[in-house]
Amino acid sequence: MKLNSMSFFQVASQRMQWVSAGQQVVAENIANADTPGFKARDISPFSELVDGARRGGVRTTHSAHITGGGHAGGPRVTTDEVAWETSISGNSVVLEQQTLRSSELSGNHQLATLLYGKGHQLLTLAVVGQR
Amino acid sequence: MDPLSSIGKVAASGMRAQGERLKVVAENVANAGSTGTRPGADPYQRKTLAFEEMVDRNSGASMVRISELGRDRAPFGREYDPAHPAADAEGYVKTANVNPLLEMSNMREASRSYEANLNMFEAGRQMRSQILDLLR
Repeated sequence: MKLNSMSFFQVASQRMQWVSAGQQVVAENIANADTPGFKARDISPFSELVDGARRGGVRTTHSAHITGGGHAGGPRVTTDEVAWETSISGNSVVLEQQTLRSSELSGNHQLATLLYGKGHQLLTLAVVGQR
Repeated sequence: MDPLSSIGKVAASGMRAQGERLKVVAENVANAGSTGTRPGADPYQRKTLAFEEMVDRNSGASMVRISELGRDRAPFGREYDPAHPAADAEGYVKTANVNPLLEMSNMREASRSYEANLNMFEAGRQMRSQILDLLR
């Protein structure tokens, strides 16, 4: 039995991957909060990742193939277009905004892990008949 | 490389950079009263540092590092004190170009940024432990 082939577990683990990637981008932004000229970055929305996976993306069947526009290769990292402000040194990282984003992502991650665990419990229930 | 382990590395690089900045502030404040020893000699010249983005080759994560440690070229202060060993022919002593107010605000900002990085580290750690909790 492959847990990953069930759409529920697939979506939950994809969501966790997306959240981790988002958290990494936030960590990079915060580490570079005082770097002159650094532009804050953001991650492409989760829906894009799911759509890309559903359509299958472009498959690479040979090592010389290049991957397509990012849909198949996980979330894309882009320059943050909605940064609250840019400092004199050209840095557009706002610590408050990043903190907000980070706590949002943390909540999402907890939700995804709990759902994953709950799905597992349901499976156990179906198989054993007791929790 | 998986993002959860990169978060720790990125946050650590941020904390290191901010720690280095705090060290420079401490040096400046400690030497705010340092003057030369010979007549007309230059006093302590304020230290500055700049940050730079660095892409880690292993993980592809963008970290931060100190790009250059420099000296502030702002003019020195002058104080009339003929008895001082560093006093010039007219009796003036050059004082360090350290502005305590500037150093204080710099210190505050460095310690706040350090804290922000620490919080990111904690967030990454929590996410990892949530994943590990799935194994229970």
